[in-house]
Parts: sequence; C-alpha cells; structure tokens
Amino acid sequence: MSIILKNLCKNYQGLPVVNRINLEIQDGELFVLLGGSGSGKSTILRMIAGLTDPDGGRIELRGRDVTHLAPQLRDTGFVFQNYSIFRHMTVAENIEFGLRVRNVAPEQRRKRSEELMDLVELAGLGERYPSQLSGGQLQRVALARALAYEPAVLLLDEPFGALDVKIRGQLRRSLKEIQRRLGVTSILVTHDQEEGFELGDRIGVLERGNLLEVGTPDQLYHRPSSQFVATFVGGGNVLVGELCPEGVKLGSRVVPCPPNTAMPGHLGGARVRLLARAENVEVREEASLLEGHSLGSGQVAEATFTGSGQRLRLNLPELDGVRCISPAPAYGQEHPQLEAWVASRPEGRPFQVGQQVAVGLLHYHLLERTGLRSLILVDFVQESRVALDFGLRVSEATGAPATLLSIAGVNEREADVTARLAELHGSLLERAPNLKMCVRRGGLSEEVLREVREGRHELVVIGEDEGPSVTRLGPWAQRLLAKSEVPVLLVQQDRPKISRIMICSAAGEPGKGDVWLGGRVAKRAGASVSVCHAVSETAEPDHKARVRNHLAGAINSLHAMGVEARPRLLDMGSDGSVAQTLLQEMEEGNYDLIVMGMPSKTALATRLVRASSRPFLFVPMT
Amino acid sequence: MKDYRIPVGLLLSSLLPLLLMPLMAIFLFAGKGGPTHFLQALGSPDAQFALRFSLLIAFATSLINAVLGTFAAYVLSKYRFPGREALLVVVNLPVAIPTVVVGTSLILLWGPIGLLGKYLDPMGIRPMFAPAGVLLAHLFVTFPYMLGAVKPVLDEQEGGYEEAAYTMGASPWQTFRFVLLPTLRGGLLSGTLLTFAHSLGEFGATVMVSGNLRLRTQTAPLFIFAQFEAGNIEVANAVASVLAVISFLLFFGLLRFAGKER
Repeated sequence: MSIILKNLCKNYQGLPVVNRINLEIQDGELFVLLGGSGSGKSTILRMIAGLTDPDGGRIELRGRDVTHLAPQLRDTGFVFQNYSIFRHMTVAENIEFGLRVRNVAPEQRRKRSEELMDLVELAGLGERYPSQLSGGQLQRVALARALAYEPAVLLLDEPFGALDVKIRGQLRRSLKEIQRRLGVTSILVTHDQEEGFELGDRIGVLERGNLLEVGTPDQLYHRPSSQFVATFVGGGNVLVGELCPEGVKLGSRVVPCPPNTAMPGHLGGARVRLLARAENVEVREEASLLEGHSLGSGQVAEATFTGSGQRLRLNLPELDGVRCISPAPAYGQEHPQLEAWVASRPEGRPFQVGQQVAVGLLHYHLLERTGLRSLILVDFVQESRVALDFGLRVSEATGAPATLLSIAGVNEREADVTARLAELHGSLLERAPNLKMCVRRGGLSEEVLREVREGRHELVVIGEDEGPSVTRLGPWAQRLLAKSEVPVLLVQQDRPKISRIMICSAAGEPGKGDVWLGGRVAKRAGASVSVCHAVSETAEPDHKARVRNHLAGAINSLHAMGVEARPRLLDMGSDGSVAQTLLQEMEEGNYDLIVMGMPSKTALATRLVRASSRPFLFVPMT
Repeated sequence: MKDYRIPVGLLLSSLLPLLLMPLMAIFLFAGKGGPTHFLQALGSPDAQFALRFSLLIAFATSLINAVLGTFAAYVLSKYRFPGREALLVVVNLPVAIPTVVVGTSLILLWGPIGLLGKYLDPMGIRPMFAPAGVLLAHLFVTFPYMLGAVKPVLDEQEGGYEEAAYTMGASPWQTFRFVLLPTLRGGLLSGTLLTFAHSLGEFGATVMVSGNLRLRTQTAPLFIFAQFEAGNIEVANAVASVLAVISFLLFFGLLRFAGKER
C-alpha cells in the first residue's frame, strides 16, 4: 500500500474543511480526488506533501508514518497548478533541482534530465528559460521536475487547470502514459469529472470535506450510492419512486427492481431514488419497438443535435406526481421531464420537437437508502443536553451521521460559540465518530432551515426542557415546524431507551411518511409501535371503516418492515377532544416517542407538547 | 509620427535651470582653478579623511542594511502576524521623516542625557558625536531602500517557489540559496546601490549626530558645507565634484544592470 490516510482532519477557523478522511491507495495506482471548490481536495494533497499540517489523523507513505514529517523528508513529487517553475533556471536546471539538492554528480544529473525531457517530449529544450516556453510546456517541465528524483508518490494539484482545452487533452494522454510506464503511485486532484474519468484508476468524490464514495469510474458512473455522486458525476435522471412488491413504482408505471439490488421489496411505500443515465433512456417511434421497461408515451420537448447523437428532453405525463431530482424541474413545467441521449441514426429521421414517442428505461440503478442524517441544535443559552443525548441516540439507531449546529445570536461572538461547540464536539467523538459540527449566525428558525438545505440533513433535533411548559414550542419552533421539509424531533425530557413508539395518525391526513419513519426508528431501536387514531363516538360507520382500513394498512407496512405493531382505534367519547384522547393514550401506553404528521396548523401540536414532556417527532406530510 | 519639437523643447527649457545647469556648474567651478588647485584641494588631510570616511560609512551601511533589509522583507512578505501592517508603515517611515528630525531623535536616545545614552555614558560608551553615531543615523535613514527593492520580488513569489523546492527535498537554506537568492539578485543589487548612494550624500541627520568633528566624524557632505561656509569655495567644489562623479557612476551602473535584468 503506497498511501494510507487514516481519519485525516483539517479545520479552518474551527470548521472542518477535511473531515476524517480514510483512504488506501495501491502501488502504481492513479487515484483521482474529484470535488468542487471548497471540497477540501487540495488541502488533502497538501497535507500528504507536508505543506499543510493536519489537525488530526495519520498519513502513511510506503508504510512510513509521515504525518508530522517535514516536506523535504517525505519523498513526494508535487505538480502545482501554477507550475512554480523557477524562472531564473533553465529547463534542465529546473529538472535537475531535486537531484542537485541530493548532491547527485553533475554528469548523472545531466543524463537523468535528458531522459526525462525525452519522456515529457521536451527533448532539446534543456537550455531554454521558462519565459520562452508555453503553458503546456511549462507543465511538462513541472512533471519532469517532480519525477526526476523518483519520488515515492506523485501528487498533482489541478495540473491542467490553467491550460486551454486542446492542450489539456494532449497533456492528459501524456500523463496517463508516463504514469503507466513508470508505475509511480499518483494522486491527481481535479474538479473536472471528465478528466477524472479519463485518468483515474479509481476516483474518490469529495463534498465539503467528506469523502462520499470511492470507486472505479465505471462504478461511480453506473452504480453510485449517493445522490450527490449520481448528479455530480455525469448528468442523467434521478427520479423518486416508491417501492412496491412488483418493483419500483414511478407514477402509473412500475419497473422491476434491478437485479442484485439489495432493496427489500417488502418496504411497501418506501421511497427510493432511481438513477437512469440519459443514454439509458430508450426513445422509440412506437411502443412495440421498446426493448427496455416502458414508461409510457411522451412528447419531445427539446431536441439538440450534437453530431454523434441527439440530446432530448421528454415530457412524460404518465410519470405525473413523480418527483424529479434531476433534471431539476423548470418553473411552470407541466409534466415530469426526462433527459435522453440517442445515438445518431444515419438512415432514420431525427426526433422532432412535439413528436409523440414511446419512452422506456434500458438500464437504471437504485441509489442507496440513506440513514437519517440528523442535525442537532445545540443551545448554549439553555445549557440543554436533552436534545443532544436523545438526538445522538436516534442517529445511532438509524445509523446515520449527525451534525451539531449552534446558532450565534446577535449578542454572541461567533468565535466563542465555535470554541464551545468544538469542545463539546471533541468530547463526543468517541461516542459518535461521524459527528460533525457547524456554526451559523442569525435567526434561529431561518438558519436551521438554511443549514438543513445546504447540509442536506434529513432530521432536525431541537430540545426544550427548561422553562414553564406554557412557553414550549414558542414562536421560532412553530415557524420551524411550519416550514420544515424534513422531520423535526422535539425533545423535552430524556428517555433512556426507545422501546415504545406511538404513531398518531389523527392529526391530519393519514400519512405514510409518519408510519414509515416511525417504523424505521422502531426497527433500529427494536421498539414496538402503536398506530393510533382518535375517532369520535358519533362518527359515521363509513369513516370508522376507512380509519380501520388505514390502520390495517399501516400495521401491514410495519409488519413488513419487521416491526411489532398494533392498531389503536381511540374512542374520543361523546365530548372528548382529539388532544385529550391522545394525551390519555400517551400516559397509558407510557410511550418513549410520539410520531405525528407535521400539523398544518400548529395548535394541536402546541397543545400536546405543552401538556406532555415526551419526545415528539413531527413528520412533514408529502 | 507626431511632431515632438514643441513639447520636448518646452520640457528641456524648463529642466535646464532646474536640473541640468546645476550639475554642469559643479564641474565648471571645480575646474576653474586648474588641475593643480583641484588636486591640492583634494589632497588636504581633511578632504582625504572626509571622502574616505564617507565611503567607509556608505559601505558599512549598505552591507548591514542589505542583510537587515532582506531579512525584514522576508519576514514581512512571508509571514502574516498581528501588527504586520503597522510594522510595514514603521519600517518605511524613514523616507518620510525629515533627516534633521532623525538626527535629533537619535541624540535624544543615545546622547549623553538620552533615554539609553544616560546608562551607557557612565560606562564610557558614547555613540553620539562619534563614527558609530554616524553609522546609526545612516542605517536609519537608508533602511527603506533595501526593503523597497527586495520585498516586491518576494511578494510576487507567493510561496509557490519555496513549497516547490521543499517538496523536492531542498532544505530551507538550500531553498534560500538556490531559489530565493537568485531571484532576489536584481533587487539586492539595486537596493544596495541606492543605499550606498543615499548614505554617501546624507547630510541632515549626519550633521546632527556627528558634531561635525573634522578628522573624526566629518563626512564629505559635511566637509563641503564647512568649506563653503568658510569661503573655500574651490575646495568645497573639488570634493563635491568627486562625490558627484561617484554618484553618477553608481547610477549608471544601476541603469545598466536594470537593463540587463529585463
């Protein structure tokens, strides 16, 4: 193993820019770190070279721990984006520099630099000065210079970033060939996925300091795990479908689960994200010609001829109701749209805008179901730890990373808040190694919602254990509940263990989200579930039957998930209210977690929360 | 081509009395008494001492400030620390402060009753009104020139050169010696020449701290002034013309070098 990174960390102003990176790179491999700006890719490379000090973790090069070694002693070759070729030295002197500081005899240096100039196709230019060379030639010199002393690893930091497209292509091919020929273990950092695909034996995709996925270009393109990688690496279609016994339901259509997908079919109603690359969307004049799984008929909305093929945008009325993550729906768009790419057919007519076509999927891939990435709000004013303890337990139960969030108010210094949060974060790392932290400044509910969007969190945990019960679920929390697109967990008093969960389906429309999320938590925590619905004594028999049906459906789904569940049809009595009935059930059942749909009006929620100190999980209705 | 005769003619006629004629005047007057007088004036022990002393001080000043100025430029260019901006202003201040004020402040610090001087005086150390005082004054006054010549070159490198050298295995010293120093060559040379030239002509601060003691602390500019005041205009002119020639030579050297670098 040439390069091993273990838990490598770097913080900048208290915030992680490189977050616990673990990576092993084989001998002779060309590994590509792919990520946008600010993803931490260059920082990782600089830490390997010793130009930046890591804040934590370990770096091994060829079995040697170099974590805190000076850059001179690491034996790395580094190619910088801006070349950093010494202007006052000739090309040959530049290439020989690494040998010169190693006290290699002049004749040998000369010989080696000539070899290298041949290798990088600069033979005969040894006596030139850098000012007489083009950008592409300079980068070739930089490569030769970094290879002259046969370093253990070669590190390339966006080496082609400053060059124009044509030269970039030539240099990529040269680099790949040279790297193969010499067999030198290399890491190349780039933001250009095409470059990554062309060069990388394997690619690691970075996002905001986290290494999301590592795989061969083929794996990452066709079988990515996460949505970020699916959309960052190559374009295509990401649709949200629903699992059903026959496969994946997309609107009125069902496509079978792809083979060797570890996706339990019994998770009825669970949502999955389906990735279909543009070239795997089949477009035909007639449905009978389709080879893949039909998505029904569609209409060509846009058609662009690109020479080798045609890029199409298709309107698909039969997918109505299906959420399209990519391509992002345009404003005012009537039906879901898919992107398709069809190879040019010299004999046939190209597709025309407005043409009716049959659309199918040749290949597709289901993205991995993510755990619940929770965002735990840490409030230093209240010194409250209930949200923290409970939130960590939930995140452990769902097997997903959690993030601590502190919001600096107008009277607080952001640095102070950051320092306090960092201390807390550090003390919890042993318990939750994937724990992250983040500090924002501004209004509570606004910043929480913003962080949810930016950090793509899936659950917000807030705590309110102080103060009189009448102030619980105050204005900011109500704003949060009203606007949140992700579930919100409100903790008021700690429960050591989640063993009984109550799902209230009385609060609004009988939703599936609450049942599914409650079931997921129950499954992980090994808890039993009661699905409750309060019905008034005077309700019509029809209504009661519908409720029973709904409860039975919920119980079926939960059983299918492997969760112990029972229905509870609660009788409100002749003069009882929904809130009172639910509160009574909470006390009787001594539940550890109450799951309910995000109320469209927060009155009921407020009443329940103020009357009971149990944890509440509010699930948005979708 | 545009007609240049009128603007260039105007420029020359305005510069003639301002710059060109005064320069000519020195040489015209110096040669007035004939070569014998000229050599005799230069040969006097006082004149000889003043010229030698001036050259010696200029040489020492250039040497010390070359090292100190480069070091200052390096630190100010490569490190970011609290108070860096303030320090940048302070080290460049000598350009703006009147030299007489510099002289006064040095006396107030090192003089027999000065802040530090009063502790040194009982030990018999009296830097003021001695060659050491002259050197201190010149170091102060010429400090920004080296810094100004070297720092922009270092700023331009933005650390890339050093990092590249480090990854290739070069020690900090090797990096300085093989990578940084060669790129600084131009800046170092022009900075040194500027320092030397300014030191050679320094008057205001020197006259304050030296006490103008003949054969002890009298530099060439002070000698010229003293002789002029005493009415020995020809003697003053002889030394002045020598100073002017040295300055011209330094300046043309600088120009030629700058041309080559480009």
